[in-house]
Amino acid sequence: MADVAQPIGILKQISLIAGLRWRLLHNNLRKKQSRLDLIGLIVLSLFAAAVVLGLSFAFFAGAYDFASTGKAGLLALLFWAIFLWWQVFPIVVAGFGVSFEFRTLLRFPLSFGAFYIMGLAYGLADFTSLAAVCWLLSIVIGASAASLTLLPALLIVTAPFVLFNVTLERLLGSWLERLLARRRSREIFFAAFILLMVSLQLLGPLLNRYENSAAPWAARLLPYFAYFPASLAGRGVGSASLGDFRGLLLDACGISLYAVFFGILLWLRFAAQYRGEELAESPAPQRPITRAELKPESRADALGLLSPQVAAVIRKEFRYLLRNGFAALLLFLPPILVLALISQAASFRFAGSKTGFSSEFFFPGLVAYIILILMAPAYNSFAYEGNGVQTYFTAPVRFREVMLGKNLVQVCLILTELVLCVIAFSYRVRLPLAPIFAATLAAIVFTVVGQLSIANWSSLSFPRKLAFGQVHGQRQSGMAVLVAFGAQILLFGISSLVLGLGRWTGDRWLPAKAFALLAAAAVGGYVASLDALTAYAEKKKEGLIEALCR
Amino acid sequence: MTDLAIVTEKLVRRFGALTAVDNVDLRVTAGQFFGFLGPNGAGKSTTIKMLTGLLAPTSGRMQLLGLDFSSHTLEVKRQIGVVPEGMGLFERLTGVEYLHFVGRMYGLDRATTLKRTGDLLEFMQLADRPKSMIADYSHGMQKKLALAAAVIHAPRILFLDEPFEGVDALAAGALKALLGRMTARGVTIFLTSHVLEIVERLCSHVGIIHQGRLVAQGSIEELRAGIAGKEGNKTTLEQIFLSIVGQSGAERAQIEELSWLT
Repeated sequence: MADVAQPIGILKQISLIAGLRWRLLHNNLRKKQSRLDLIGLIVLSLFAAAVVLGLSFAFFAGAYDFASTGKAGLLALLFWAIFLWWQVFPIVVAGFGVSFEFRTLLRFPLSFGAFYIMGLAYGLADFTSLAAVCWLLSIVIGASAASLTLLPALLIVTAPFVLFNVTLERLLGSWLERLLARRRSREIFFAAFILLMVSLQLLGPLLNRYENSAAPWAARLLPYFAYFPASLAGRGVGSASLGDFRGLLLDACGISLYAVFFGILLWLRFAAQYRGEELAESPAPQRPITRAELKPESRADALGLLSPQVAAVIRKEFRYLLRNGFAALLLFLPPILVLALISQAASFRFAGSKTGFSSEFFFPGLVAYIILILMAPAYNSFAYEGNGVQTYFTAPVRFREVMLGKNLVQVCLILTELVLCVIAFSYRVRLPLAPIFAATLAAIVFTVVGQLSIANWSSLSFPRKLAFGQVHGQRQSGMAVLVAFGAQILLFGISSLVLGLGRWTGDRWLPAKAFALLAAAAVGGYVASLDALTAYAEKKKEGLIEALCR
Repeated sequence: MTDLAIVTEKLVRRFGALTAVDNVDLRVTAGQFFGFLGPNGAGKSTTIKMLTGLLAPTSGRMQLLGLDFSSHTLEVKRQIGVVPEGMGLFERLTGVEYLHFVGRMYGLDRATTLKRTGDLLEFMQLADRPKSMIADYSHGMQKKLALAAAVIHAPRILFLDEPFEGVDALAAGALKALLGRMTARGVTIFLTSHVLEIVERLCSHVGIIHQGRLVAQGSIEELRAGIAGKEGNKTTLEQIFLSIVGQSGAERAQIEELSWLT
C-alpha cells in the first residue's frame, strides 16, 4: 500500500522553493560559462547599486527641498517618477532576462495561498522593486528631515503606494508572460520594441518641429493625471502639510482602492494560472479551414537561370527572412537610421551641397555603416536552420550551392538597402562626384564579397543556434563576433587606406581603379573559396549539426 | 552482388575514447524491410547517420546500391530518402513550401515537385492546413511531413529513424501501407524503432546492435530458429531481442527493492 503525502504549511512550502532556487543557482555555477556570467552579474550589480544610491540622494534632496519650501504637493512628481520606473522598466527588460517559471511548481501539491504569496514575493525581490523601495525610503527620509510632522502622512501614503505598485507590476508581468509565451505575439512584441527604439532616434527632430504646438495639448491633459495614485500620494502629503487630514485620508484611501482593485485582478490571474492555464507554443487543435490548392505554375521561374538547388535555397532564405520578425525588422533599420543621420547631420556645414554638407566623405561613410550592419548575420548564417540543416547533408547537393544561395540573398538585400539609401541620400543631399561614387561602388563589391568568403568560413566554424523572432537569451558565438570584427577592421582599414592614397596623390580616380582591382580579386577569391568550403563543410558537418540540432 | 542495397565493411565510428560503432558488417538486400534494433546508446543512430551522410565514419567502407558512399556521395544521396533523428524540418516553412524545397533540392523539376507535393500532402492528410507553419504542426504531423519529404524523389532506399513515434493509429496504418507498397516495388527500407511489435509486424529482416557491435542479423525466422535451439520456445521478437541483448539482472533486483511502491 502506497503512502499518502501529508499536506505541509505555507511557510514550509516557501522555504522548500527558496531551497530549490538556491540549489539551481549553485548547480548552474558548475559551468565555466555560468561562473563568468556570475562575475559579470556582480560587476553589473555594483554598477546598478551605484546608480540606485546616486538617485536615492537625488530623491532625498528633492523631497527635502519640496517639504522645506512648503511645496509638499510637488512630491507627486517624485512619486510619478518612481511609478513609471516600477511599471515600465520590467516591461522593457522582460524579453531579455532569464526568469524562473514558478508555475512549473504547480505539479506539486502547492496551496493557492503559497502560490499567491510566492508570486507577490517575486514582485518585491527583483531589482526594479528594490530600487523603487530605496527611492521611496529616500523620499520619506528627505521629507521627514525637512518636517518631522510629515512622517506619519508619508507612511500612510507610501505603504499603499508600494502595495499598489507591486500588485500592478506583477499583474502586468503576468499578462506579459502570457503574451510572450506565444511565438507570434512575442515577435510582434519585439517588433514593436525595436520600432520604439528606432522611433526614439526621431524624437529630437520631432520635438524641435512640434514643440510649440504640442505644449497646449499637454497642458490640457494634465488635470486628468490628478486621479492617478502617484498624484494622490503627493497631494495627500501636501494636504497633511496644510493640516488637512481629511484630504490625506481620502487620498490614502484612493491609493488603497487602486491596490485592492489590482489585487483582485491579480488574484484572478494567479487563480487562472493555478488552475493550469495553457501557455503552450502550439495553437489549439482547429478545424480544417481550407484545402491546399496546388495549381501548376504557368509563369516562368524567376530564378530559372540558377540551378534548382540554389533557387530552392534562395526561396527558403527569403521566406525565413520575412517570417523572422526580428531579422526582417533589422532591414528597415539602415534606411531609417540613414534618414535620421542625414537629418541630424543637417546642422553640420560643409561646402558644396544643397543642405550644406559634403558628400565626399559622408557618402562612403554611410555605405560602410550599412554594410557593417547588414553583413553581421552572414557570420552565423545557419543560426535559424535548426534541425533543417540536416537536409543540406542528406540531399544530393554540394555545399557550394547552399552557400551560393545564402550569399545571393545577402547580396540582394544589401543592394536593395544601398539603393534605398542612395536615393535617400541624393534626395536630401546630392549624388557624390563621379570618382567618389565609382570608388564607393567598387569598394562595396570588395568589402561585401571579401567579407562573404570569411563569413562563410565563420558560419561553418563557429555556428550558434538562435531562436526565431526572439531576443530573449540570444547570444552570438563569441568567436564569430570576433571574426566579424576582425574582418571588418581589415577590409575597412584597406578601404580607408585606398581613399587616403587617392587624396594624398591628388589622383581622384585612383581609389576607383584600386577598388576595381581589389573587387576583382575578392570575386576571384570568393569563387575559388566555394569549392574549398564544400570540402570544409564535410569536415565540419558534425559540429554544425550538433550546434544547430540541440 | 548487385542485389545488395546496403553493405558495410568493418564500419567504425569513435568519439574520443568511446567506440560507438565497432566493426559493423551489414548486409541488406534490395527490397528488404530491414529493422535495425538495439538498446539505448547501442549505436543505432550513429550507424544510420553514417549511412545517410550525416556523420563520417572513422574507418570502414559503406556501399549503397553498389556505389561506394565516399566516392559517389551525390549519386548515392540522389537515390536515398531519410527521416533523420529530429526529422530535419525547416520549421518556419509551410508543409507545401518544405516539400517544394526538398523536391527541388533533389533536382526534381517544378511541375513534378508540385504534383508530388499535392499527392503526398493529400495522402498524409496534411492538406487541410496549407498556411500553417511546420512549427505549429503537432509532432505526429511533423513526422508525416518528414516522411513525405523523404519519399518525394522516389528513393530506392529509405532510412527511417523511429518513424512511428508520435503518429496516431490511423496515420500509422496509412504509413505502414505506404511502406509495404514501397517494399513490394523493390524499395529497401531501413528503420530503427523501439516498438518491437511494429518491427516484428513490418520487417522481414532485422539486425541487432549492442554496445556498438552487430550481434545478430538475418530474417526473423532465422533468428527465432537460432534462439529456439538454445533456449526453448522464444517466439516473439521482444523475447529474441532480450535473449540476445540480455536483460540486466541488476535492474530486476532494484525493482524488488522498491517494495514500498507496491
